[in-house]
Amino acid sequence: MILQSIELNNFMCYAGPNRFDFTEGINVIIGDNGYGKSKLYDAFWWVMYNQCFDTSIKKFKYTNLLKRQIVSDKAIDETEEGMISASVVLTFHNTEKDSLYILERRYSVRKSGDKIIEDQDSEEIIWFKEMSYMNAKEVKEADQIERIKKSILPDNIKPYMWFQGEQVESIIDFNKSDTLTHAINVLSNITRFDNIITVAEGLKESSTKEFNKKQRDLSGDKGKSENLELDRQNILDRIKGLELQDIQIKDTLATAEEKSETLLNKLADAQKIREIEAKRKSIEQNLSEIQEEFDEEQQGLHKRMFTSKWVLKGTENLFDEYGKMYNQFEHKKLQHEAQIQARLDSENALVSEMQARLPIDVPEPIHVQHMLDIERCLVCDREALTGSEAWLKMKALIDRSQMKIKTLEDEEKSVHNFSGDLKKLYQNGLGLSHNVKSIDDDIASTFRRLRKLDKKRKALSDDLKKIESEINSLIVDAALNVSQAANILNEYSAQNELAKRSMNEVNSNANILSRRKEELSKIEAELSKLVIGEIPAYLKEKIKVIEEFYLVAHSTRKRVFNKLVLILEEEANKHYLEMTQGNMSSRGIIRLKELSNGKNYMPELVDENGNVLLQLNTGNIILIKLATIMAIISARQGSRDTDLYTLITDAPMSVFGEDYTIGFCKTVSKVYRQSIIMSKEFYKNLALREQLLTNGEIKLGKVYLITPSIPENARSNRNSLSTNIEKLN
Amino acid sequence: MTKEDILKAYLEDDLFIEKSYLKEGEAQKYKWASHTENNLIQIIKTAIEGELSNESGNITERKINTFLNK
Repeated sequence: MILQSIELNNFMCYAGPNRFDFTEGINVIIGDNGYGKSKLYDAFWWVMYNQCFDTSIKKFKYTNLLKRQIVSDKAIDETEEGMISASVVLTFHNTEKDSLYILERRYSVRKSGDKIIEDQDSEEIIWFKEMSYMNAKEVKEADQIERIKKSILPDNIKPYMWFQGEQVESIIDFNKSDTLTHAINVLSNITRFDNIITVAEGLKESSTKEFNKKQRDLSGDKGKSENLELDRQNILDRIKGLELQDIQIKDTLATAEEKSETLLNKLADAQKIREIEAKRKSIEQNLSEIQEEFDEEQQGLHKRMFTSKWVLKGTENLFDEYGKMYNQFEHKKLQHEAQIQARLDSENALVSEMQARLPIDVPEPIHVQHMLDIERCLVCDREALTGSEAWLKMKALIDRSQMKIKTLEDEEKSVHNFSGDLKKLYQNGLGLSHNVKSIDDDIASTFRRLRKLDKKRKALSDDLKKIESEINSLIVDAALNVSQAANILNEYSAQNELAKRSMNEVNSNANILSRRKEELSKIEAELSKLVIGEIPAYLKEKIKVIEEFYLVAHSTRKRVFNKLVLILEEEANKHYLEMTQGNMSSRGIIRLKELSNGKNYMPELVDENGNVLLQLNTGNIILIKLATIMAIISARQGSRDTDLYTLITDAPMSVFGEDYTIGFCKTVSKVYRQSIIMSKEFYKNLALREQLLTNGEIKLGKVYLITPSIPENARSNRNSLSTNIEKLN
Repeated sequence: MTKEDILKAYLEDDLFIEKSYLKEGEAQKYKWASHTENNLIQIIKTAIEGELSNESGNITERKINTFLNK
């Protein structure tokens, strides 16, 4: 069956009509994260199973839960009124019968103004068309639709043919007891051997009962035989109980061994993560202290402008100049004061002289004023006309009362005198002039200290970045976070302890079981001795044949199963080797190690001498798992599943990186007749893309490049989003 | 796997050589239609046929019992 094409119309980010054609070989859809690869994978899944993968919850969701999310936002936005339908059509070509299966799924919403009315569910339409006829026929019967879908992708093959990269971990989960058995069931018809064992067990039980009954019937002492039979039944019950217990203990042991094995791979990483984490914490602590010191020091710089008087930096000359100017000022001031003093001295002499003729206020000023008013001196009884000498003399008597001896202080009060302030400034400057000299040294020493702290801070910050990157890459490689890593050692020791305890229990149980079996043999021997007469030959033969059948059924099942494990191992190694070619670091041989309960298997990577290679990183483990998935398919080549079904996978290579991409593509193109792979690896790495397009070892189908119409960082919503599809070959 | 492949898988068991039911290398050449008087081989064939025809286990057991009770 070849998937010829997928047509998407208004499906999620695929607005409008879109089409991809496919051929045999490896078909690749290239796109960066968020470009629509997963939506394309969803489209395949949606048509077949009416579900899409919800990455946030890592589960598939049915259409009735997704509803309008199925329909392109652009299509909804651009429609003013009416119905908007999303549809996906898959066309499969059955090359053997030369017929087509056309599978279509549709989902519609109706827009009325701002209101969107959603359909409850999607609609499925299946067409069958024989190439020799012109018309296609719609298939309506549910049974037939189911048959067609099963022929496109059977349920047991589905997990190994259609999967997303992030599902690889769970598809092959070697911690689950039935994963490998399930894979073997897909690979083979081992269940047929299991069913034959059930028949052999049933026969053994019934024939033993028949034989025992015959023995009792032929017993010479029926009472004793009855008692012995009761004892026998009792011991058989105990043996059954012990065997059941044995299975349970062995299961526990196997689980503990599996967990120990898994943990062992991560043990070294966990230890390293723990050590590095401790180192990181110490660096972080140091950095925080240094940062605090640095911040304090830097904040202190502003304060130091005043506390350490840095603000005066470079003012040494200013003080000297001020000193000179102040000196000049003082000198001038003294001169000025001397001049004033001289003037005052002469004025004061005049006042004193006047005061020497008549005492002040004699005669009293009111009498003098009266004399002035009447223009006559009543002391000498002479006329004194206004403005005359006599009148002026009298007036001088009044003015004199207001005159007093002036001092330099009185004179100074009358003008702006900054002398004191200037002196204070000079004195302050004098005090500071000693500090000013040491400011430069202080600043230099502070900045030296700051630089030292900054250097230390940067070094610690670099160390922290380095250690964080180291820890992050370790976390990615080991798929462990710090707290998980911290738990690994405890868990490992606990699982080891449990394995040891279980092993002791298995041994002790085996001893008890062996004693019980001896007791059973004795009872059976006694029962046999009591028989008188002959057990019929047919019954003896029947017992013998059924016992042999029982043994052969068990041993054959085990042999066939082991052979299948070996085939699986061989195929897985073939694919692993192909995928890792060109990368020496991950060389090794996959070995599927049988665990104690004989049911579970653990994959190990061993060197050519059989030594187990520890510390597998996530990339290695994913490669082993992918190799195993391919092995499950390629080992079925007899059944031609690889020819019949198409591998569809989204981002299978994202976990192991670009080093293995080409190896993976080569292997896929060998294992599967047709594959459709969504990949981001070829998006940015153009050299890798060129290799894909030109490498002769890769059987290439169609290659497409998908890009969004508007980049994610340039859009606030998806209302204009569509997907551009470019054919690359 | 065909019924002959399944039968061969059983006949390859060491028990067939140990008990001299088959000679060395005989299992690989064995055909489904090959005639045998060996009861073990007969009941294995009955069990395989039952399994391939999706017969219930009880019916297969009954058939084998009937055969061995002769």
